[in-house]
Amino acid sequence: MGRHVVRRLFQMVPVFVGATLLIFLMVNVMGDPVAGLCGERQCDAATTARLREEFGLDQPVWRQYLTYLGNVLTGDFGTAFDGRPVTELMATAFPVTVRLTVVAILFEVVVGITLGVVTGLRRGRPVDTGVLVLTLVVVSVPTFVTGLLLQLLLGVEWGWIRPSVSSEAGFGELIVPGLVLASVSLAYVTRLTRTSLAENRSSDHVRTALAKGLPRRRIVTRHLLRNSLIPVVTFIGTDIGALMGGAIVTERIFNIHGVGYQLYQGILRQNTQTVVGFVTVLVLVFLAANLLVDLLYAVLDPRIRHV
Amino acid sequence: MLLEVRDLHVEFRARDGVARAVNGVSYGVAAGETLAVLGESGSGKSVTAQAVMGILDTPPGRITGGEILFQGRDLLKLTREERRRIRGAEMAMIFQDALSSLNPVLTVGDQLGEMFVVHRGMSKRDARVKAVELMDRVRIPAAKERIRQYPHQFSGGMRQRIMIAMALALEPALVIADEPTTALDVTVQAQIMELLAELRRETGMALVLITHDLGVVADVADRIAVMYAGRIVESAPVHDLYRAPAHPYTQGLLDSIPRLDHKGRELHAIRGLPPNLLTVPSGCAFHPRCPRARDECRTDVPPLHTVDARRGSACHLWRECLHG
Repeated sequence: MGRHVVRRLFQMVPVFVGATLLIFLMVNVMGDPVAGLCGERQCDAATTARLREEFGLDQPVWRQYLTYLGNVLTGDFGTAFDGRPVTELMATAFPVTVRLTVVAILFEVVVGITLGVVTGLRRGRPVDTGVLVLTLVVVSVPTFVTGLLLQLLLGVEWGWIRPSVSSEAGFGELIVPGLVLASVSLAYVTRLTRTSLAENRSSDHVRTALAKGLPRRRIVTRHLLRNSLIPVVTFIGTDIGALMGGAIVTERIFNIHGVGYQLYQGILRQNTQTVVGFVTVLVLVFLAANLLVDLLYAVLDPRIRHV
Repeated sequence: MLLEVRDLHVEFRARDGVARAVNGVSYGVAAGETLAVLGESGSGKSVTAQAVMGILDTPPGRITGGEILFQGRDLLKLTREERRRIRGAEMAMIFQDALSSLNPVLTVGDQLGEMFVVHRGMSKRDARVKAVELMDRVRIPAAKERIRQYPHQFSGGMRQRIMIAMALALEPALVIADEPTTALDVTVQAQIMELLAELRRETGMALVLITHDLGVVADVADRIAVMYAGRIVESAPVHDLYRAPAHPYTQGLLDSIPRLDHKGRELHAIRGLPPNLLTVPSGCAFHPRCPRARDECRTDVPPLHTVDARRGSACHLWRECLHG
């Protein structure tokens, strides 16, 4: 088990370097980091040269990258061009997005798994068909449609919620945005749980449990659910990273000042340091989430643990 | 009789029709007796066993007629809960593939101990002690340590021993073993059969041994019931059946066993294929493959004729068959 973790940690290093290098090159080489600094006008040649020297942009690219990586590892994500340190932006943005993601994951776990179990145990019945159709609709409709629709109905027409989230962005305000963010994954979790349950239901070891004379409840919880949830847990784990990075649309709709909002602003105003910094942290979140999944997998499935 | 199956009918509803898997099977097992149920795949031998255990998938399966008397009670008239209490405690089943039949994510100790926790209301700790005893009993070395391991950490033979231990946990009066050695190496097969026979002698349980392998049967069984297309075609004490079969199908099965004294000769095979259960042939289901078939075999379903007090044959021509 210990070796398993260490091996996983080492495998993360090349992924981290590769991902950061890619984003660094995209922003610094393909785009011009200085272009957005003089407002609407083009910078004059002297200013451009001064700025390039100040930010080290006259150095070779590999050196720029190494400097950047060194800074990141010491916790310095640079300064946004408005003078505030990027870490300060992160400190306000990440807690908001983390709360939003927590709400979304809770929806996936509680609602998604429950619906999946209910439909998986009642295959072909009206409940099953109903939920299946619903998940199909949710998967087919893009998030921005679901989001805007819910905002319009719940927020504007019926006045159940405030259409835009305040700057504190507490858990209560994030329930509807969290549901919107979770919606597509929620439908996947439902379907995945349902299929996995139905598959395991006809498996030999469940038949054995039946032949042992175990009560139905015990068969479902001990012999069916645990085995069936292994792929579901994997999916939800990997989804943590995807939700945090993918919250841009939801955050825009409900005016939530989280990671997606800052990234959007950063790209719009060509704030190189902001974009690279945030993406770097998101890469780390992805890696951590994947590590978590691997460990959970080993806990849930002894066949992985003892390889 | 400990178990008596009377005129059992089971069918499966499929998209392209109704498959009659079991068509009026009757057999009995006395306490302590070993009955071998022999037949090709699709002959209905496993379906009958699943109906007895009460673990048939319904739907698509459906019991359309008959009685299953166990210790004098008709199991088909009991409630779900009453049947559940019998399963595992009074009658138990051993399956073919122990790797897939054991739960991959629970330790073998948990899976063995569960029997005592559920049926006997024991504490987990006491159940664990019992589980170690069981593993010792089926001769798994280092039982105390291995109880914490998972099924995939055992060899095929050891896994089947765990299945057997699980079936014997509550000392049931009847154990049904559905092809218990098919998935194993030949050398391990012999060990498992020996273990089963030995445990049967020790406990006095009755054993229904489902198999397609005539070789496995000879040493262990007291009686044999041969099944074909969902019916019993011959039923006899094991030695009588080997000495002089009273049904052409049994004859064919015996002839297709490789024998040392027939070295160099071509191996006999029964011509044709087992029937499709959606369209079972009229009359005697075996007639398209039978070397002795006559006109009446194509039209009249043969009843189980009494050959002598202890054997029966569902063949119109059982007399000719018996006397060669």
